[in-house]
Amino acid sequence: METEKMDGEKETFCTVLPLWKKLFLLFFTFAKIAALVVGGGLAILPVVEETFSRKYKLLSSEDLLDMAALVQTVPGIIAGNAAAFVGMKVAGYPGVIASVIGVILPSVTVITLIAAFFPGLKAENPYVLGAFAGVKACITGLIIVTALKLFSKTVKGVYEGLAFAIYLIVMLFFKVNAAYVILSSIPVGFLYSWFLVVRMKKDRGEEK
Amino acid sequence: MSLSALYFLFLKYGFLCFGGGYVLIPLMIDDFINQRGLISQEAFGNLISIAQLTPGPVGINAATFIGFTQHGVAGAVLASLGVITTSMILASGASYYVTKWKDSFPVKALLTGIRPAALALVFYAVVLFLGMSVLTPEVPLVQTVKFLCTGKNLFPADLHFSFPGLLICIVTILLLKKTKISTTWLILGSAVAGALICR
Repeated sequence: METEKMDGEKETFCTVLPLWKKLFLLFFTFAKIAALVVGGGLAILPVVEETFSRKYKLLSSEDLLDMAALVQTVPGIIAGNAAAFVGMKVAGYPGVIASVIGVILPSVTVITLIAAFFPGLKAENPYVLGAFAGVKACITGLIIVTALKLFSKTVKGVYEGLAFAIYLIVMLFFKVNAAYVILSSIPVGFLYSWFLVVRMKKDRGEEK
Repeated sequence: MSLSALYFLFLKYGFLCFGGGYVLIPLMIDDFINQRGLISQEAFGNLISIAQLTPGPVGINAATFIGFTQHGVAGAVLASLGVITTSMILASGASYYVTKWKDSFPVKALLTGIRPAALALVFYAVVLFLGMSVLTPEVPLVQTVKFLCTGKNLFPADLHFSFPGLLICIVTILLLKKTKISTTWLILGSAVAGALICR
């Protein structure tokens, strides 16, 4: 059985799976996300976390956050961006193809069937509307759990906590677009990292 | 419209799509209804409500539907591929280079900056979803689209509190924490529960 070659550092973290199994996992998970997850945007996060992070340990919580940020900054459909991001991370280009096919398959089949056979279908059935309300409530619960998990893994100091609080307040109360928040967080990251480097050098200098 | 023109039009949509598929809907209305007159306004409105109530991301659903009306199944597949090509190039490229250069100073600094912002985005998504499920306006779908298109009126005046929504949300959290049940079953179960109680 052929296994993916990985560099030393990754090996300690990744579960070693054969390539075909990774591809199947990517295809199946993203088809499932496209078929079940309603509401758009970061609704995908809990299912990605469950499969790739918790179950198979192919992604770390940092990877999940990088995904959450990048899928909303890079142009493109969010679910498609997430599929391409995770596919690349887990299995390179074949992974991108597998997960992207997974993402479009449910739409192509279901919408084509509706357009071909029920062109006049209207979405007003109370049971259907109720089912979708139920799924949205469920996804709300799932995202809350994922959000708290990511919070406890990310916020380790004053910088993360303060930056997180400011970004959230700015988005909630001043209606600043998510993409602007991400973009303006980049110079902040550079300043903070630079500050850390300077402080480290100073500490070393004092030791001598 | 030829198949290649269809593909390239949706490729363009992919590049113009910042922050999710809802952004594309005004663009599609302008192109297909106002300028080319290929689809009637009524058919398009019908599409959007179906696109929200069928599996699949809204942007890809819309691409599939328009592609199908123009060229049948081939059009549906090509339009969907067109709208997702951007992701296959840019998002996978971002993923590749972030992993490759993760120990270099610029990428480390970039990620140090982005991660707290990403966490804020996740919490913002929590608020958005609470607004779609627990505290809902009278016409939730219309309000959600309006909010996502304009960024205004996250909490409109006619909010009502959905007790079934809160119940399903809390039961989901408890089941996820206390049992090993998978999210697939939670979602399917809450669809059934929603059909019975969220009416």
